Amino acid sequence: MAFVRAPSPFLLVLVLALSISAAITATTTVPQPISDHHRSAALNLFAPSHGSFPSLQDAYEALRVFEILGIEEKHRVSTDTCKVVLENLSSLSSSLKDLFYALKVNGILKCKVNGEVFEGIASRLNASISDASPLPDLYYSIGGLVLIKDQDSNVDVLLADATGTFQSIKAQSQSDGKWRYSSDKTESSAYAAGLAFEALAGVISLASSEIDQSKVNTVKHDILKLFGSIEKNDDGSFYFDGETVGGHEHQDSLSTTSSVVRGVTAFAAAVSGEINLPGDKTLGLAKFLLGIGVPGDAKDFFNQVESLAFLESKRQVPIQVNLLFKFVLQQYFFSFCFLFFSANVTLDLSWCRVTIPLILSLPETVYSLTTKGQLKVRVSTALGSAAPPLVVKLVRAFSSGAKDSSIIESKELQYDKRSGLHVLDGFTNNVDVGTYVFVFEIVLHDSHSKQVYATGGQIHMPIYVTGIIAVSNAEIGVLGDLGSVQTKKALDLAGNDVVSFSANHLQKLRFSFQLATPHGHVFKPHQAILKFRHEIKVEHVFVIGNVGKKFEITLDFLGLVEKLFYLSGKYDIELTVGDAAMENSFIRLLGHVKLDLPEAPEKAAQPPAPPVDPYSRYGPKTEITHLFRTPEKRPPQNLSITFLGLILLPFLGFLIGLLRLGVNLKNFPSSTVPAAFALLFQLSIAAVLLLYVLFWLKLDLFTTLKTLGFLGAFLMFSGHRILSYLASTSTKLKSA
Amino acid sequence: MSKKLIVLFLGLVPLLCTCFSPDTPSDRRVLVLLDDFAIKSSHSIFFNNLKSRGFDLDFKLADDPTISLQRYGQYLYDALILFSPTIERFGGSIDAAAILDFVDSGHDLIVAANSNASDLIREIATECGVDFDEDSSALVIDHSGYAVSATEGDHTLIASDDFIKSDVILGSEKIKAPVLFQGIGHSLNPSNSLVLKVLSASPSAYSANPKSKLTSPPSLTGTSMSLVSVVQARNNARILISGSLSMFSNRFFRSDVQKAGSPTKHDKSGNEQFVTELSKWVFHERGHLKAVNVKHHKVGEVDEPAIYRINDDLEYSVEIYEWSGKTWEPYVANDVQVQFYMMSPYVLKTLSTDNKGYYFTAFKVPDVYGVFQFKVEYERLGYTSLSLSKQIPVRPFRHNEYERFIPAAYPYYGAAFSMMAGFFIFTAVHLYHK
Repeated sequence: MAFVRAPSPFLLVLVLALSISAAITATTTVPQPISDHHRSAALNLFAPSHGSFPSLQDAYEALRVFEILGIEEKHRVSTDTCKVVLENLSSLSSSLKDLFYALKVNGILKCKVNGEVFEGIASRLNASISDASPLPDLYYSIGGLVLIKDQDSNVDVLLADATGTFQSIKAQSQSDGKWRYSSDKTESSAYAAGLAFEALAGVISLASSEIDQSKVNTVKHDILKLFGSIEKNDDGSFYFDGETVGGHEHQDSLSTTSSVVRGVTAFAAAVSGEINLPGDKTLGLAKFLLGIGVPGDAKDFFNQVESLAFLESKRQVPIQVNLLFKFVLQQYFFSFCFLFFSANVTLDLSWCRVTIPLILSLPETVYSLTTKGQLKVRVSTALGSAAPPLVVKLVRAFSSGAKDSSIIESKELQYDKRSGLHVLDGFTNNVDVGTYVFVFEIVLHDSHSKQVYATGGQIHMPIYVTGIIAVSNAEIGVLGDLGSVQTKKALDLAGNDVVSFSANHLQKLRFSFQLATPHGHVFKPHQAILKFRHEIKVEHVFVIGNVGKKFEITLDFLGLVEKLFYLSGKYDIELTVGDAAMENSFIRLLGHVKLDLPEAPEKAAQPPAPPVDPYSRYGPKTEITHLFRTPEKRPPQNLSITFLGLILLPFLGFLIGLLRLGVNLKNFPSSTVPAAFALLFQLSIAAVLLLYVLFWLKLDLFTTLKTLGFLGAFLMFSGHRILSYLASTSTKLKSA
Repeated sequence: MSKKLIVLFLGLVPLLCTCFSPDTPSDRRVLVLLDDFAIKSSHSIFFNNLKSRGFDLDFKLADDPTISLQRYGQYLYDALILFSPTIERFGGSIDAAAILDFVDSGHDLIVAANSNASDLIREIATECGVDFDEDSSALVIDHSGYAVSATEGDHTLIASDDFIKSDVILGSEKIKAPVLFQGIGHSLNPSNSLVLKVLSASPSAYSANPKSKLTSPPSLTGTSMSLVSVVQARNNARILISGSLSMFSNRFFRSDVQKAGSPTKHDKSGNEQFVTELSKWVFHERGHLKAVNVKHHKVGEVDEPAIYRINDDLEYSVEIYEWSGKTWEPYVANDVQVQFYMMSPYVLKTLSTDNKGYYFTAFKVPDVYGVFQFKVEYERLGYTSLSLSKQIPVRPFRHNEYERFIPAAYPYYGAAFSMMAGFFIFTAVHLYHK
């Protein structure tokens, strides 16, 4: 005990040292408090469809969010919802959960419910408590009774066996501070613990006689153990991890956290201000809840807003404690708190509380030297309501690169009543451009507030101070192999003029420029890049370093030939200078250099393939038409007919010749049989010739040959007869 | 046992009915893997938008041991959304190979990374042809194209408006405002011709750690760096890879945006429009083509012949439709081409269209015989590729199909016939003259 009350100087030093280092490494984003974004999002999310909500739970969540955020939506839904509430409350078959939410909605809407209905429900709920029911049922029943007590003081809701009920709930707690849903389930969860705390709080307020203080203290101890399993993010926010328990649905970290917050704050309220949590944890929880931003899910939205409201609800002031030690523990070294608790359970638990987190936020973190703005800081509660009287102190400010040298030390910010902001005028006068970390501290005016609010100690905020950077003395030139300057040109980097050079691999290219801040100091930008781009789109990037005041880069082409893939030709030179603090960041084409590099050796690396242009890759192809073979060249038809006439001329000549010679057919046989054969012979010759004509005109080879065979045989027979006859007559003549 | 089977079967019937099919190519069942269920709420506008378009989203934690993509060889989902940039190892039976198999079987994928992207997510991206910056602390920084903000001073919140010029990927409506992006950049694998930059970085952007001094040249700079890329695989599976998870978040959707150096301040960023249009494309609500009724016949005939003769005049027609998410709409374009192909195209002709999805043309069969193909190889930026081919043989003239009475040969005919007539007269004169 004495150890706790009067810590040794050594421990204090250690704690302070640790705390400072922890504070510096903590990330610097602090979420903004609830604002109008939330209100407009809530109106969208919780808009009842056709004037009514899908369930009583949804109705309660919507109404509760509207209540917390101060949105006047009640009258629009009250008639319809009240009807549902009354139906549920009067019905004997409605479940415990429905009764619970009906009572909760009634608490907000104040529907006209008569006392008898309450009495009936109260006895029903009381009856269900006596059974060894699972935790959710106990939670709904006890919660329902508490709500009836609040809504109608005439109804007797006191628990007959409060201690027994308390015990039966407490029996399900586990050694790590988590709770089981019922005795036959083995897994425990933090979500259930939240339900249990709320139920226990209910039991305490419903108890007809005082609950034994030692029992209450063990629950407090459970709470602190549960907070031992809290998870921490890098940004200093605390939350309870999501979990899936048994057959129950998965609870994500938000619903788990909000369940615990609801339970713990309810319990803290029930046990008259003696339940205690370090300020860092409540602040961390608030940070976690605010870090979610504007949830897009109604359930998440409700959990976030309701938890924040619970964290903010006013509670009694706890008893006086050792302020210095509490401060140290609260701000930085909360885990010691638990260490001591677990070491000595009977310790006086009253010096930690559930404190209201104060959120320090900056409407702006980027300040421009050109506009000379004020540094503005807003301090409010998580829900955005006004903070108690306080002073915001700028403890120190240092450049994010150099932690040791402060540029501003301990200044108090002026409170501007009109805007509700704490402002620091003219801070930009002696601050140069750059990235800084400003360390703020909230100092509360009275000791009363100090115990109600958690301020989070030193708060580190990144501040960007931007300005116009002067660019000067830009020079570009080509050097010979011995460093002799061959060509050199001054460049105006603000203008658009470009230069062009030619160089070979024995030469060097040097480019230099200077940057100065508005205060005349050297400015080192984050991005100072020189880019060489060859015609075939191969790029090479060089970082420009600084020597003293001057930024300079010398490119020795002899050493770079391999990197440049031995690619001769025109290169574009592009300069990019940019920084978060530089308002006139620029990208600019400096000019061109025509490089004459040696031929690539055989084993040199090939330049990478240029990227395919998607637009040209997918275009239509050029059409192809087939080139047909040209038909053979033929003489005109008239010429053919003329030639036909010429061809027929010899035949005519032949006929005329015959007539001229005076041909006769006197040798034709005169007797019947030879004459018939002669006629047949001539006829069959004519038939064969006709067959040839027919073959030309239409017949195919097979018909022609068949007919020709037949005609041939006939021709031979008749020919033989007539020719032998003619031969015999001619020999007779000769012999005669 | 049999009862169980029946129940199981009846349970599967609705699943089978709603799954991905060639007739309704939009995805229906989508598995969403998250790092934390908080993403479900912080990105709810995106998810609600998908739900309102009829998608059945199944949210799971990425390390949930019960997740699986397929059961009994059947895929349980049509698409996968990986909003779990930090996951080192998926739960259940899913690993990088399973996800790539999922894509290889024609399913779609959305991957969002951020500055904490795990090796697993990087590996999946690399397999898709996207290489994230290997420096795990690097972010995309743009000192000239950042989004003006009173609270974000390090210029990693980028307002980008360098979109791909493709109506099918980003919708016909112009993206109204710059898109807010905060995350890591990537480069495209040059050997992969299927991956496309949808949102590229500005020339002044680079990828580096904003908190430390830049000593070596950044690996990714300028417009060669991509912020959001898509892949359309050869099997028409579509993949979206973004270096920023917050691009999909409600915060960025609702945020106002003013690009540095620009006087116009937009009340709402272009993220919602950009992401919605892009997801429509990825989930095959746009740009999915089908070709039906491929017909060809000789001019003046109706039936398709079994063979063409050289120099025949033929007509070719095809109907092409685009899936609009609900129905097949006629596809209107003027660059559909047909090839008459044997080893190489002999004829390549652009089809005429009636602007109602009907494409037609007529041409003469080349005077080369052999086995030809009618080929339609339609590949356009963002559209699924159409590859139709129909084989058809082409024969030469028959012997009796050549020209019969050639005028140029009349002198030869005349000579032969006058010869024959002369012969006949000569025989008579020779035999019977006295």
